[in-house]
Amino acid sequence: MSDVLRARGLVKAYRRGRAVDGVDLTVRLGERVALLGPNGAGKTTTLLMCLGVVEPDAGTVEIAGHRLPRGRSAAMARVGFAAGYLPLPERLRVREYLRMFGQLYGLADPDGQAQKGLERFGIGRLAQAMGTELSSGQKTLIGVVKATMHDPELLVLDEPTASLDPDVAWRVRTGLADLCEERGTAMLVTSHNMVEVERIAERVVFLSDGRVVADGPPAEVAARFGRDDLEEVFLHLAAGRQAPEHVEGARP
Amino acid sequence: MTTHPAVPARAARVPPRRAARLRVSAVARRHAYVLRRSPHRMFDVTVWPIVDTVLFGSLGVFFARQGGPSGAAQAGVAYLLSGIVLWHVVYQAQIAVSTGFMEETWSRNLLGLMVTPLKELELLAGIAVFGLVKLLMGVGVVALAALGLYAFDVTALGLGLLPVFAVLLLSGWAIALVVVGLILRYGNGAEALAWGIMFVVMPLGGVFYPVEALPVALRPLSELLPTTHAFAAGRALVDGGGMPWGELGLAAAGTLAIAAAALAFLAWMLRLFRRRGYVTRYS
Repeated sequence: MSDVLRARGLVKAYRRGRAVDGVDLTVRLGERVALLGPNGAGKTTTLLMCLGVVEPDAGTVEIAGHRLPRGRSAAMARVGFAAGYLPLPERLRVREYLRMFGQLYGLADPDGQAQKGLERFGIGRLAQAMGTELSSGQKTLIGVVKATMHDPELLVLDEPTASLDPDVAWRVRTGLADLCEERGTAMLVTSHNMVEVERIAERVVFLSDGRVVADGPPAEVAARFGRDDLEEVFLHLAAGRQAPEHVEGARP
Repeated sequence: MTTHPAVPARAARVPPRRAARLRVSAVARRHAYVLRRSPHRMFDVTVWPIVDTVLFGSLGVFFARQGGPSGAAQAGVAYLLSGIVLWHVVYQAQIAVSTGFMEETWSRNLLGLMVTPLKELELLAGIAVFGLVKLLMGVGVVALAALGLYAFDVTALGLGLLPVFAVLLLSGWAIALVVVGLILRYGNGAEALAWGIMFVVMPLGGVFYPVEALPVALRPLSELLPTTHAFAAGRALVDGGGMPWGELGLAAAGTLAIAAAALAFLAWMLRLFRRRGYVTRYS
């Protein structure tokens, strides 16, 4: 199985210290990986470096064979990104917003792909709505449609279901799982919802203080920390206790 | 041999060469929607042009009356009116690009755009392409107001206006690149510069008068600005002489130089923006 994302030795320091300190991260084609860790662990900075938005102080990132930053544009054509905190521009209708992103991704039929995406997530009726008329859950769903309408090889999701009610969160999870299954799309997701992570991800990478402290299948990572589930591992790391050792789990 | 389940065909894409054009037009169209749905944004292309025309046209008329019917006094009105028409080329070009970029920061759309294949120059090109529409609206309003209110027909200056127009357009875009660079570096706190910088360029840039009218200490600075030479060429057209190619050449060379410097400055600020992770200001 080939790698769709390969990041090596990522380092990023800000004035207050090192946010990311030597992170290696690999996502293989079709693999579903969760990047976890307490607030300030370096998850979002790692994601932004992997997406070429933030330049690492050291290390390399390669997406679908395109090395960043030189190959950023070609790499981004293979990536979809959605985040719970990304708003929908207010002065656009949903259809216009999706058409714009479809055109940015170079789609030959952006309107058709947008409609398919809306229907996949059961929100076809929202095509004519203005951004200001949508609930936060609907905005998140539109963001997911935007991120998936060009059939990316890698889907990067930063807190995709944050602030969603359980019903919408379930629709997002199910829609994404179906998409990954059907298209062989790889997924890199951050979330604070450990139950969700156990449902979505086949591999988890735990960050703490900017370093990878565990990498492997969820059950195996929990077992290596002597915990019953990822929630307990998370709480253990958040409490500031040191991981017993760098845990390298067996990869699927 | 193993068989794999059939994967549905991926979404069809346009060829790479067309993809770049499509990205630029997608940005331009997005900004057309913004203007259509934000009536207050029409202020820059309707109200300000009329206010400027009335202000400078009436000043010219007042001083012309004080000076009597002499040719020099009447030429003053024409200098002021042609100056304000040409000034709006610089102003509208600059404001359209810098506020277009700011729209992406105000709507927190910058991160979303940065994780698509859109290149930085394509974003600016898309904004500038739609900015041309705004520019034509703004300059058209000034020209019509000058004609309707003061019987000054800017088109009477002839085709010589076109190269002056082109130099001023490029000057406006170059100033906008500097403003965008400063916003990348300092955040939205720097956005007042989008308007403020024009109030610095206006008196020094020879819009209404030649360099000799400025205090001695400011003249070298004024000479360095390409707009000074472009507006001087415009006044020569008002005087009815031929195109002063020397002035126009200076203006064109100066504009190319500041455009290159502005691009280099923007590239530097963009590197800082990525290095320091400033995108999180807008997400």
